[in-house]
Amino acid sequence: VKHSTLVILLAIELAVFAILERPDLDARGGLSGYLVDWLERVIEQTAPASIVAFGMTIIIATAGIDLSVGSMVAFVACVLGSFPASADFWWTAVPLGLVTGVALGAANGLLVARLDMPPIIATLGTMILFRGGCYILLGDVERAPFYDVPGYEELGSFAISGTAVLSLYCVGGFLFHRSRRRREILLIGGNRVAARYAGLRVERRLLEAYALVGVLAAVASLLYTGRNFSIQAGALAGFELQVIVAVVLGGTRVEGGAASLVGTFLGVLVVGVLEEGLRGAALWPGVELAFKISHLRYILLGVLLVAGVWLESRTRSRRERRP
Amino acid sequence: MIRPPLSRTLRYRLVVLALGNAVLIGILASLLDEGASLARVFVGIGRHAGPVLIAAYGLSGVVFTGAIDLSMGSIIAVSGSVFGILVHEGTHPVVVLCATMTTAWALASLNGVAVVILRIPALIVTLAALAIHRGVALIVADLGLADFSGGIGVGVDYQWTGSATANVVLVGASLLALTFGALAKSPRLFLARGDSEDACRLQGVSPRSVILRAFFVHGFFLGLAALVTVSNLRTIEPARIAQGFELDVVGAVVLGGTSVFGGEGSYAGALLGGLFLHFLEQSLIYAGVSPYYRDVVSGLTILSVIGVDCWLHRRARRLEELR
Repeated sequence: VKHSTLVILLAIELAVFAILERPDLDARGGLSGYLVDWLERVIEQTAPASIVAFGMTIIIATAGIDLSVGSMVAFVACVLGSFPASADFWWTAVPLGLVTGVALGAANGLLVARLDMPPIIATLGTMILFRGGCYILLGDVERAPFYDVPGYEELGSFAISGTAVLSLYCVGGFLFHRSRRRREILLIGGNRVAARYAGLRVERRLLEAYALVGVLAAVASLLYTGRNFSIQAGALAGFELQVIVAVVLGGTRVEGGAASLVGTFLGVLVVGVLEEGLRGAALWPGVELAFKISHLRYILLGVLLVAGVWLESRTRSRRERRP
Repeated sequence: MIRPPLSRTLRYRLVVLALGNAVLIGILASLLDEGASLARVFVGIGRHAGPVLIAAYGLSGVVFTGAIDLSMGSIIAVSGSVFGILVHEGTHPVVVLCATMTTAWALASLNGVAVVILRIPALIVTLAALAIHRGVALIVADLGLADFSGGIGVGVDYQWTGSATANVVLVGASLLALTFGALAKSPRLFLARGDSEDACRLQGVSPRSVILRAFFVHGFFLGLAALVTVSNLRTIEPARIAQGFELDVVGAVVLGGTSVFGGEGSYAGALLGGLFLHFLEQSLIYAGVSPYYRDVVSGLTILSVIGVDCWLHRRARRLEELR
């Protein structure tokens, strides 16, 4: 999908929600104020998803997939949540959370790269496994030590989460774009055999990619807990779907070999605006339907996914047919 | 009679699983309290493992072709909504059961149609369907019932299905699947499509119609699985029913030795794999292991069996790839 298409889609979404919501523009700083407010909310809300989507883009570019991201973010959050709240939290829980994230990601990487398991099976297994880990850590209790950790609520603010997301995509994305890693990963995804013949360290690169998702999942779970303040074992179900939809919508090929980080970021925004808009559906004036509009969220997410991949494959086949 | 060839890997897997099942039954027998008999465990198979096993037969055919279906749980949710509404209206039981089954059948076939028409990976189509149908289930319930608030009470009218009927359905479906696998031509076409699309086409068989047929057969089994699931419940909650169902089914199929890339597998494998997971869970229950550990154990089992298998064949596959 072309980036311009995504921007247009984004504009259409915002326009539709604005019409349905009928905001009082004067009270909210005019149109620009209203839009800035919107984007701030969306970036804040989708910060965990956009952080993880960066890694997922790389994984999907290697022709892999990681279904365990939701469980991974939840597991790290459960590890954080099982610590008592105190000023030491920053020196005990947070580093341990990051280490856990790396370990979980590396576990996925080992299964895929060393044992040569198909990524979908390996990460399906770890998805169940990590979720089980969440239940072992917390049981059915909801933990919320985050309120009492000094300075923790800053993590959920727009200043921190926005900076994290933007710096990841601008700095990280720029470095990645210029690096040799990127080309190696695209070759691994596009043609594994050719990559081996070219002498690339395929296993190493795959392991790195999955471990990177682990790190990003840990960061995402810091941002998530900084915003939501509580964690339970069943949290973040369906998170992986949101991330995969965003990545695929952004023009990354599910068969591997093509990736776009800019597209991924726009994809996250499209998905985020949709979710955020439907969340406020109960307050829409004058819209009466026989069912809860928020149920539409599932359907629109699914339709976006199929439409994204379909458009992508159609434009590709047209490009390939051209002599 | 030409039987589909079972590769050595597959035969080993079946033997290992059969032995594993025997060991688990032994463990179960030793764990049972005085006076309790193993018969009680066996009588419960239909109710507890029936839906997973029956759906696993259908999914096997789909996975043989190299496709996959991740939307099974959500499809059962839609069936459940339809079932709940019709029971609520006091419709004749025959109509209720037919409608429940047809819903699942139609939606599963629709997945196949979408895969074939849109020409995008089944993984993506059914991942989208996973989200879409969960929303559809909720919206159908909202539209069909005036006072829907999360759960539809269906009373005990359909509990006559109980253990006995569930077992009869399970045994019938198993015999049907095994006979189908041994005698019918379709499973061999599925395997052929999964092995090589080009060879399939050269033989004059349309690869797309084979995939369509696989989803059609899958729908039939999924319909039966939906019947067994919904008729064992007193309250149907469209948001929660059969959540994570697809993971269990994919786990059973893959544990049974069916390759996720298609072209290799057997119906007997699905049966043995599903039973193995069921007996494992039962042993954990009887051993008094906390329910929180069950997910971890089943995740670890799937990962280790498939991991060892992939690791053993890693060298051979690498050589094949580079040849």
